[in-house]
Amino acid sequence: MKRILLLLLTALPLAAQAPPFAARKMAMIDAYAHYPGPGDAGFGQIAARLFQHEDAAWCSRKLEQLLAAGPSGDVFWMYPVTAVAYLDQGQLTPSARKALRSAWKTYMPYRGDTENHFLLYYSSLYLMSQLYPNEPGSTWYTGKSSEENLEEARQWLEGWVKLTTTRGQGEYDSPHYMGVYLLPISNLAAWAKDPAMKKRATMMLDYLIADYAPENLDGLYVGAHARVYEDQLVEKWKGVSSDFGYLWFGVGRPMPFPNNYTLYYLVASGYQPPEVLKQIATDRSKPYTHYEKKRTRNRWRFNDDLHGPVYKTTYVRKEYAVSSDQGGILQPIQEHSWDVTWSVPDARGVQNTLFFSHPFSSVHELQTYFVFGPDSGIEGVVRSKKTYDSPDKILGGSPYEKIFQDEDTLMALYSIPPGTRFPQINGFFSKDTGPLTEDPSGWIFLRGGTSTYIACRPLQPYSWKPLADGGKRLFSPYLNNGVIVQVAAVSEFQNLEAFATAIKKLPLEVRLDPVPTVRFRSLRGRQLEFTYGQNPTINSRALDYTKWPLFGGPFLEADVDSERLVIKHGNLRRTLDFRNLTSTDSGH
Amino acid sequence: MKYGFLFLTALPLLAQSSLYVAAGAAKEYVVGAKLAASGLFRQTATREWEHLGYSIPFLFALDSDPADPSTLYLAAGNGLIRASNGGRDWTILTGSDITELRDLVVTPTTIYIAHSHGLRVSKDRGKTWTELSARLHRKYTEAIRVDRTKPEVLLAGGEEGVFRSEDSGQTWKPAGAGSYQIMRLEQSPHDPCFWLAATQGGGVYASHDCGKTFESPSEAPGVGKTLYDVAFDPTTPARMAVGGWGPGVTVSEDGGKTWQARNSGLPRSDVSALVFDPAIPGRIYASVHEEAIYVSDDVGRSWKPSGMEGRVANRMKFIPGVAK
Repeated sequence: MKRILLLLLTALPLAAQAPPFAARKMAMIDAYAHYPGPGDAGFGQIAARLFQHEDAAWCSRKLEQLLAAGPSGDVFWMYPVTAVAYLDQGQLTPSARKALRSAWKTYMPYRGDTENHFLLYYSSLYLMSQLYPNEPGSTWYTGKSSEENLEEARQWLEGWVKLTTTRGQGEYDSPHYMGVYLLPISNLAAWAKDPAMKKRATMMLDYLIADYAPENLDGLYVGAHARVYEDQLVEKWKGVSSDFGYLWFGVGRPMPFPNNYTLYYLVASGYQPPEVLKQIATDRSKPYTHYEKKRTRNRWRFNDDLHGPVYKTTYVRKEYAVSSDQGGILQPIQEHSWDVTWSVPDARGVQNTLFFSHPFSSVHELQTYFVFGPDSGIEGVVRSKKTYDSPDKILGGSPYEKIFQDEDTLMALYSIPPGTRFPQINGFFSKDTGPLTEDPSGWIFLRGGTSTYIACRPLQPYSWKPLADGGKRLFSPYLNNGVIVQVAAVSEFQNLEAFATAIKKLPLEVRLDPVPTVRFRSLRGRQLEFTYGQNPTINSRALDYTKWPLFGGPFLEADVDSERLVIKHGNLRRTLDFRNLTSTDSGH
Repeated sequence: MKYGFLFLTALPLLAQSSLYVAAGAAKEYVVGAKLAASGLFRQTATREWEHLGYSIPFLFALDSDPADPSTLYLAAGNGLIRASNGGRDWTILTGSDITELRDLVVTPTTIYIAHSHGLRVSKDRGKTWTELSARLHRKYTEAIRVDRTKPEVLLAGGEEGVFRSEDSGQTWKPAGAGSYQIMRLEQSPHDPCFWLAATQGGGVYASHDCGKTFESPSEAPGVGKTLYDVAFDPTTPARMAVGGWGPGVTVSEDGGKTWQARNSGLPRSDVSALVFDPAIPGRIYASVHEEAIYVSDDVGRSWKPSGMEGRVANRMKFIPGVAK
């Protein structure tokens, strides 16, 4: 029966056919309890079985076995063990429980160097110190007492919530790393005893889910990301976001086997979002533009401010989405600054996206965000991020890329200094685009899926290079360069030729020197002007970045520094006030 | 008290010292990976390496308590760690607001730490901390040293060169190498007004006026490369060495006037740390990146491996009085 339920989950195609939230949740947990993923059964299986109050003797034996083998994994060890400690509820043997507790003395996890590492570290330390109060420093790897650990963790957690709700998240909008924000907050929402911490965490779950809801298309996390892996970049379905989109809202397809981030989210609070978030996540009846302000990761060097601003624009309609940040190096290594994503009935195995980038890697970039020495830095990164130092790569930001988006029109301009490694831009044209037309005008016209027309105008000559999986890479080796992208729904035109004709009629002026400048009347009738390194204008009015909201658009409202988020759809409204720790609903 | 840590140059004590190593991540490590023994090591009397305390991937520097050399202090990714009982019992002394420590100095009365976002001082052995980098333009600090003859004089190395303070860090003045990231600062044990600075790209810089100004010598080694360490030989006043990525081990035996590369026998010329043995003239240790620690008994003219295979030693230091 359980196997059948899991198979049903992965086979179901559409939101309308998805089982209820409770069934989705239990199937994902059950997958871990009975059908372990690749490799040996680990903490995930123990957590799932303890959650289901099943086979406690096996859980105890397995736990002792894992701990005896020697902990490893740093912060990625802390959260599973914390979950097991809380899911125990009297099921584990005294011996297993003792082994678990003593591991927090014998093993010192590295706290890590990113925001998600710190959140995992301090949420785990908080909960374990809470579980074992009044114990001296000699019983903890930190050498600090339970109360000292708890207080240190509390301070960091509260500080992170405040920073996020005033200046935006640092590792923002990641299809993968969203999981390692959700699971620790889910843990706190479930298990924190302090009512304020519990309330704060529960509100943060709404906040984090709200961050995703308007930027998903059929469950896929669209657009600019602080961090993404290359396989998720081209096949967007492969993100943890697909698990969560399916779990929360019944949209898209979950992973064949749930990510363990999803599991730990579920066995803690297993929080089901309110109806207002479901409406936001699934209502694509009208096009909309959504704005967000985020911040960079900690910049240790070469900058006067620890965090820089990130300005995001996301245009969404049922057929496609266009999303971007302003360009530049906003995050190291895994930044993805813009793309077009089109809707497909089933995104598994489909590369339903298009984007360009300047392949950039440098010691300067790494030393901005990391403390390690310059010489082995790139080599160290390439160990885990294989393409970081490749001229053929399509992932990563560049200091020489500037982006401007207005609705479904996007301009990416490049001015690459002479002598820069990899003096080229790469455009990703996936195996799943329709046949493309290279028009004598310089425009490239193509179809994305059955729903979307895309016009793409490289500013300099280019050639095509094949991609291993069947797509092709546009290669344009010029220092002053750029691309204009205009997207439209298939339903707006009789055919691709009609779309092309309409695009070619749009007034366009391009200058390449001394830096690229584009003047373009968009398909939506707006006069857009953008010069590399300058503020863009819309109908002659300069875009005012100083007024960029933390969240803005039809569904979310939050001002910078406000610690307040309004989530709204129709007459439904939820207001999160982090200063007063209140969550207020209306229209429900 | 003012000169309370003049003992640092007391050679009889150093003669009883042990070599400690702050070793970073082992070969092929990424965050979250299974970690081979890493962190703090001590070389035993039989020249074996004893691992002390926890395995941690990021340990950048170490120092000892002058009043109790069996208590070490460790600059680690997780913060400042007090490692008492000869380095075996650890307590993290800093909180969530400090991370990725780069360097430290422990004096009889104070602990200074350089970290990813500034400099701090504690006058109560790590219970409370005071910020010292408020007036530095850029906060990232890789190196911190105290003038052993003037405890109120500090030298700090960051991304904009060397800065010097004469009021215990309340105010700072640039002292040179302003175009370069400083990697290491050291004061000569023989001449307190002679300092060396290792830089990223600028080669070695020297000061002969007590750290007030640093200049690039005419034959500065390491220009265009990264120098990770500088060391003075406590047994021989005119002898010093720099270690770097590409230059490997480069030695001067005439007070820094001329320099010679001495890498014969090393598997590669990428050196992250080096130290002279204070008890055996001519002996020098060098950590070769992800290979091993190598030792030379002829000031670098020949080398042989000395253990710690696959690791990266970020700092090597002889600590007095805890050899047993």
